[in-house]
Amino acid sequence: MPTALSSVAVPARRRFRLSAQTRGIKLMLPVLLLLLVFFLVPVLTLLLRSIMEPTPGLQNYAELLGSQTYVRVFFNTFMVAGVVTLITLLVGFPTAWLLAILPPRWSRLLFAVLLLSMWTNLLARTYAWMVLLQQTGLVNRVLLGLGVIDQPLTLVNNLIGVTIGMTYIMLPFLVLPLHATLRAIDPSTLRAAAVCGASRWQSLRLVLLPLALPGIASGALMVFVMSLGYYVTPALLGGTSYMMLAELIAQLVQSLLNWGLAGAAAFVLLVVTLGLYAVQLRYLGAGRSGMGGR
Amino acid sequence: MTTPFLQIRGLRKTYDQVVAIDHVALDIKQGEFMTFLGPSGSGKSTTLYIVAGFQEPTEGQVLLNGKSLLDVAPNKRNIGMVFQRYTLFPHLTVGENVAFPLRVRRRPESEIKAKVEKMLELVHLADYRDRLPGQMSGGQQQRVAIARALAYDPPLLLMDEPLAALDKKLREEIQFELRRIHQETGVTILYVTHDQEEALRLSDRIAVFSQGRIEQVGTGEELYEHPSSRFVAGFIGNSNFLPVKVEQMGAGRARAIFPNGQAVEGDARAFAAGSEGTLMVRPEQMRIRPHATSAQGLAVTVRDMTYLGDSMHFAVQTPWEQELAVRMAVRDGQGLCIGSSAVLEWDSQHGHVFA
Repeated sequence: MPTALSSVAVPARRRFRLSAQTRGIKLMLPVLLLLLVFFLVPVLTLLLRSIMEPTPGLQNYAELLGSQTYVRVFFNTFMVAGVVTLITLLVGFPTAWLLAILPPRWSRLLFAVLLLSMWTNLLARTYAWMVLLQQTGLVNRVLLGLGVIDQPLTLVNNLIGVTIGMTYIMLPFLVLPLHATLRAIDPSTLRAAAVCGASRWQSLRLVLLPLALPGIASGALMVFVMSLGYYVTPALLGGTSYMMLAELIAQLVQSLLNWGLAGAAAFVLLVVTLGLYAVQLRYLGAGRSGMGGR
Repeated sequence: MTTPFLQIRGLRKTYDQVVAIDHVALDIKQGEFMTFLGPSGSGKSTTLYIVAGFQEPTEGQVLLNGKSLLDVAPNKRNIGMVFQRYTLFPHLTVGENVAFPLRVRRRPESEIKAKVEKMLELVHLADYRDRLPGQMSGGQQQRVAIARALAYDPPLLLMDEPLAALDKKLREEIQFELRRIHQETGVTILYVTHDQEEALRLSDRIAVFSQGRIEQVGTGEELYEHPSSRFVAGFIGNSNFLPVKVEQMGAGRARAIFPNGQAVEGDARAFAAGSEGTLMVRPEQMRIRPHATSAQGLAVTVRDMTYLGDSMHFAVQTPWEQELAVRMAVRDGQGLCIGSSAVLEWDSQHGHVFA
């Protein structure tokens, strides 16, 4: 009897909100647990090993950042990721634009081609590029046949090979988010720009690119971050002279069993990635995107 | 004889097998407010888009000051345009939007600043220069769009149903603004709408479009008083259409008979005797009398009457059981009541016979 009275005294709305909140947390528990066990624990273990093995201290990080070889690997990683991002942007923006303006029948076809390549086995696609790009491969033979070159070009086991292979793989990850942004832009906005006297180039520079910037930034960041940690394609198409971080980590773990150093390398990569993500949130998340009215 | 400011000559546009517009021809004077009026799909927007350069005609010519516009790219035509949807650049402030056409023309910064100020004053939005379009109402955005379209002093302003997305009150407010802007700037305006009231309120002349052709061009008064076809009569204003059979054609007049055999006269174009037609009379040009006062009177029964303050609205029934609408001054309707028999009269020059 007294409990019934006291529960009447609590405002009904507040009670409801509280119970909804606790219920929400309860419903999220399985997901939180999953994230904890499968994501947070391994990362923390790795961090722990990087500062505990072989002896407690920061010597792994000192070695990583002090050695010419390792710094070179870091430089390669960022350079390759940067070049791949840039070229993916140059190829991806027109592709995404084409997808946005083509009649539905054609854009569906182009979409299918993009997605089909994405769903094909990564290893198979990378080997296919090896075959295409090698000294006696299709690309070289066509170029020789057309008389563009006299000598076969070296297109694999170097930076060119890695860039071609990775750009191809990364393309959908840029095109898909960018396409969504571009499709949201009203085509009559561009007509208005033309009527106002803007040339095609001015329309692109002053209207389309600024409006597409959120899509460009998120797509480019996605590609850059994925490229930083990519392993298979650089390992197969790149040579030893352009070793990237993921290859280094694989070598450290598989051949040298140096978990401490590998952990340190992985952790540095993680910190850089999170830093980039923070930059994007800071400048594009709350920035003046002007899309609020839509 | 000076060449007309804007000439539209024999325009024809087909998509595959579908004819969008055909034989569209029109001369527009400098400083004129010309409205293209018609239902959707009548070709009015297609014609406007051809003038703007977004579409190419299959045949025909568009001349501005005697020079062809068709080989000029849209961005070189130097024409202003306001669209149905708000097409302000969402990432630019109001001031930057108005400055945009001047920026792409690489005008000096001081000129741009002064012009933006002037244009925003013209549309009464001077205090909104630093707002983003997303923070403004639809009506305000459309006013900014007008300021942007006029910023570079184009000789011609095209407007594609610019008020269609606004509510009635806002629409009337901007119609009033538009008239003022037209008078202040003297710009030639080509305006597209499907709203006949808007067309009458704004335009110097109206071109009525139907099924890809221009049905009639004229001032609002000409179209209302002397419609050239049943379509124009039905599209502009309210009308009664009575079935008749044409008996005899005179000089611009026809003698016809109603289904009950009664004779009637009305204005008409060329007509074959014996053919079926329609007599059109406006509701406010008809009178209901208790007794016949002239020969041209139709016996009717009053079915309904509504008091509207400034006038009275009647529904009357003809001998062949067609219901007609009549509007009269309140004092002229006295002595009539629902169910009473009466005579319906109108002056014969207010009757128009159409095919």
